[in-house]
Amino acid sequence: MSRLDNWNASISRDLLDHLQQKLSRRHFLGGMLKAGAIACVTPSLVFSATISKTQKEPWLTILIVQDHLFPDDGNGPSARDINSLSYLQSILTLDDVDKKERQFIYQGVGWLNDLARETHGHLFVSLKASQREKLLHKISSSTAGENWLSILLYYIFEALLVDPVYGGNPEGVGWTWLEHQPGFPHPVVGKRYYEL
Amino acid sequence: MNDFDVCIVGSGAGGGPVALSLSQAGYNVLVLEKGPWFTEADYFKDEMACCRKSVYTPKLSDEQHVLEDYNGSDGKGGYKWKATPTSESGQDFWNGNCVGGSSNFMSGFFYRLKPDDFRLLTVFGPIKGANIQDWPISYEDLEPYYTLVEKEVGVSGRVKAHPFSEPRSSKDFPYPSTVEHPVSARIDSACRQLGYHSLPTPRAVLPHAINGRQGCAYSGFCGSYGCSTGAKGSSRAALLNRAVATGKCKILAHAKVNRLVADKQGKLVGVEYIDQQGKVINVSAKIYVLACQAIETSRLLLLSKSEKFPQGLANNNGQVGKNLVFSAGGSGYGDFTYAGLAKTEKALLKTRGPFINRGLQDWYFINDKKFGGRVKGGTIDFLLRHPNTMTRANEYKRDDNDKLIWGSALKKTLHDGMTASQTLNYEVFCDWLPTDDCFVSLDTKVKDKWGMPVAKVRLGYHDHDLRVGEYLSEKAKKVLAQMGAKNISGTVSGSPPPNLVAGGCRFGNDPAATVLDKDCRAHEVKNLFISDGSFMPTGGSVPYTWTIYANAFRVADKIKQQLGKAV
Repeated sequence: MSRLDNWNASISRDLLDHLQQKLSRRHFLGGMLKAGAIACVTPSLVFSATISKTQKEPWLTILIVQDHLFPDDGNGPSARDINSLSYLQSILTLDDVDKKERQFIYQGVGWLNDLARETHGHLFVSLKASQREKLLHKISSSTAGENWLSILLYYIFEALLVDPVYGGNPEGVGWTWLEHQPGFPHPVVGKRYYEL
Repeated sequence: MNDFDVCIVGSGAGGGPVALSLSQAGYNVLVLEKGPWFTEADYFKDEMACCRKSVYTPKLSDEQHVLEDYNGSDGKGGYKWKATPTSESGQDFWNGNCVGGSSNFMSGFFYRLKPDDFRLLTVFGPIKGANIQDWPISYEDLEPYYTLVEKEVGVSGRVKAHPFSEPRSSKDFPYPSTVEHPVSARIDSACRQLGYHSLPTPRAVLPHAINGRQGCAYSGFCGSYGCSTGAKGSSRAALLNRAVATGKCKILAHAKVNRLVADKQGKLVGVEYIDQQGKVINVSAKIYVLACQAIETSRLLLLSKSEKFPQGLANNNGQVGKNLVFSAGGSGYGDFTYAGLAKTEKALLKTRGPFINRGLQDWYFINDKKFGGRVKGGTIDFLLRHPNTMTRANEYKRDDNDKLIWGSALKKTLHDGMTASQTLNYEVFCDWLPTDDCFVSLDTKVKDKWGMPVAKVRLGYHDHDLRVGEYLSEKAKKVLAQMGAKNISGTVSGSPPPNLVAGGCRFGNDPAATVLDKDCRAHEVKNLFISDGSFMPTGGSVPYTWTIYANAFRVADKIKQQLGKAV
């Protein structure tokens, strides 16, 4: 038995943090909106039957946020290269994901778009890249905003390094980039963690 | 007429030896295991299953603990304690709830105790604030069983002379060492230069196939992971499969025991458990054996109240749950950077698969003025950084000021950090002194999904443990420095490793101060034995598993004697 076994089995500090804290829209926006502004801004979840699943909200906003968090910059795979959006979508459908966590991810999209409309008059995805980046830095100064970004990063790292059987890390592109030698045998369909 | 000769609750390192030994002797054995029954076919090198999801342990929303941590002085010379349910903190205190228990997921660092570990009070004297007690048996009593475990569980290694070597009845291990990593020779060299005596670490890992088990595949993913070849000496792979093959042992998975039932005279007459469908079932046996790992064994006794035992089974002297111990000590690391290395050197350093298998016991007993005389020390073990990558990657998403980073800056930091070096870890194992501030009780508010009170665990430690741990940690750092490691760092704290737990039902000759007699039979209940680590009054300065296995085989012999057949 190793003393480090449990340390390695522990989950991310950020996941725990956000579950322990009283997370609210006000915490997320960090007092950035004027008093009274919150009440008049409609949650910005946009659903359309005519566009694909990834283009529907909240996924469209998450897709663009992931582009900022893990960009295509010539240094290894990007968020899109590792299927980070579809990976997150599939993970969030599983029963073992905490309902509060799932709700928090979705709520964050609404709050981010509220802020985008309040400050720029448009949804987050309609802004210029530089404007979007500034907004992300702005929300990261609040506890809940930083936690929201941190959780998205948590799942990007999973998509980057998970066994490809789960849908992320196609052909081990993340492992190759980080020179990681995976163990064997690899999990197979029918023996994924939620199938055991 | 009883349903079985022996009913064992729990199937880990404490339960497996009893099940095998008694079923081989011809007794009808029932093993009740709360968790599922996985086999080699279910174990993959999957970080999600192993470490990020509750696959081998319960969901904390279903079953949890309440942990009591130090929360300042009470102003009266004592302490205040803050109780937190683990479902709130996320501090998971489970170790493996499935057939074979946490032995499925161990690293298998196997060390024997040493003769003086059995008589700490006599040899080293009392320490203020600690409830140190000699064991009622000696190393000589347990030695044959340590040897038996080498063969039955499968311990690989090689004997090397050492100033503090414990006596052995056999010349060497029955299985040769597993293949060793190139870094191991560098540890040996550094230790020689420092005048230290590096030791090959015995491992409960088979280097080759035997008894239907395959040899190690050297995947490099061992600790925390279930073994897909059966090479790791889990209770399931090494013992229970063979017990079942006798035709005399039945294992029921998904059988959660609610309580043990005693008659008015205090004799156990049954076990009540809930099956996977939620049906409550009673079974009876001549003898009952608890092996649920220390915390849950104490909890089950405390839950099993009756007219004869109003404070819980075998607890009329209030000793159940008391003197819980963990392994004190800590861990640390040093980095070996790849920059400037030739391609072959880098490849050697990056090698994954072979084991480090190196430990130090030069300070198992410390004779240093710092301590004012000879004191009990401990063990240092070296191992490569854990191969899990997702947890590690998350460490790079914050800068030195703990601010979140992302974008190209994050990707550069991540890539540079993950690919720049090999890390050698060390772990320190020393005695966690038993005190009045480390014990198991029942929580009065939090219940499990079946409506039963969960275990509340007070996690107090003795400051002496930290001093010994720091002493050893500094020695380990010297080895890393001698090897040329960079970024050397170590941490020693009173934070307990939940996978290294014992005590709570210690054995001894005084019924007023102990729960079990020297045979691990309850003083107050003659047909109840406890065969997990609960019996240990002191834990020694090594991981516990080998000692638990050995003692469980010894307990099995005592049960055979009680059942009336010759050993």
